[in-house]
Amino acid sequence: MRPRSPNIQNYRPQLTSVLSIANRFTAVISTVAIVAFVAWLVAAAVGPQSYDSMHAAAASPVGRALLVVATFAFFLHLCGSVRHLFWDAVAGFELRTIYASGWAALAASVALTAGAWLIGFWVRS
Amino acid sequence: MTIRSSSQVSRWKLPRRFPVPKRFGVSKDSRIEQGRHWPAPTGAKRIKTFQIYRYDPESGRNPRLDTYEVDLDDCGPMVLDALIWIKSKVDSTLTFRRSCREGVCGSCAMTIDGTNWLACTRFVSQTAGTASIYPLANFPVIKDLVPDQAHALAQYALIEPWLKTSEPPPQQERLQSVADRKRLDGYYECILCFCCTSGCPSHWWNGERFLGPAVLLQAWRWLTDSRDDAKGERLDALEDPFRLYRCHTILNCTRTCPKGLNPGKAIAEIKRMMLERTL
Repeated sequence: MRPRSPNIQNYRPQLTSVLSIANRFTAVISTVAIVAFVAWLVAAAVGPQSYDSMHAAAASPVGRALLVVATFAFFLHLCGSVRHLFWDAVAGFELRTIYASGWAALAASVALTAGAWLIGFWVRS
Repeated sequence: MTIRSSSQVSRWKLPRRFPVPKRFGVSKDSRIEQGRHWPAPTGAKRIKTFQIYRYDPESGRNPRLDTYEVDLDDCGPMVLDALIWIKSKVDSTLTFRRSCREGVCGSCAMTIDGTNWLACTRFVSQTAGTASIYPLANFPVIKDLVPDQAHALAQYALIEPWLKTSEPPPQQERLQSVADRKRLDGYYECILCFCCTSGCPSHWWNGERFLGPAVLLQAWRWLTDSRDDAKGERLDALEDPFRLYRCHTILNCTRTCPKGLNPGKAIAEIKRMMLERTL
């Protein structure tokens, strides 16, 4: 058997590959978050006691951190999917556009996450 | 940072590799060992260090990483010049493919500083302080920097890369309009160096059945040729969950093509043509 030249152990991470694998990870995180969201709805439907314990978990520092991660993952996946929508129409394949849209998707998901949380706090107060 | 053309080397030094264990998915006989150090000749002033993957099939030992010091004042400007310098002045056993030394033949494709490029068109000055040179990522290694392309070429043969037509042979050339000829631009220039296929993570994980960007670019080159009338037959051969659709538009291929071509776009064109024929 011939040895195989290293692939992921040696190949440099680039915006292309990093955002591609990020799109998968964010899909997984979003799926888990949706299950948690349903659990929250079920808790609310069951009664005040179960809702209180669910709410306490979500409002704890760890809970809030996870919620921030989940919203960022949701928006990154959304923006990444918009890029894929253009690619499926055979648009935006020039290397400069690939990089510009990649960074734009990253910046937009940070802005959308911050915006969503600001609106959340503004609605509550 | 933004990249305008594939020839641009990222100014970012980090991250150099994905955060996976060094032995992640590496078979026992592919593990790389520490090799030996080859110092520069005495009196050399401008010294550049290269870490080069070595594998000798006759030694019965694992691949190793040798460190070579090159005297830049005695050596040409390209990475290929440095390899030839090492072979003729330091270690004659260093093995690599090369032919045209001007980016036309595609023989000297290798993984330089973690990305694929032709050694003959990459300047030594563009490489990292300690440059790393490996054979094309994920290819079986015959010896040192010589990859085994048998599987990649078999995949190329699978798409039947020749003109297929039911018309009788004409008395003269088969004519094409200027516009039809233009559709081949950006595809006929491919030199089959397999830099893109070697840099494609999808081909790393599913290379047995996924054809990879180089071969799919060639498939599109024939699908879009106005003189070819085997479109349906060609699309039938590609309509498969693995052969075509393992492409997830990662686009490492377009990032690394040493000829500045766009395999990612070619694959998207095939997917669209596949969709359009069902409408």
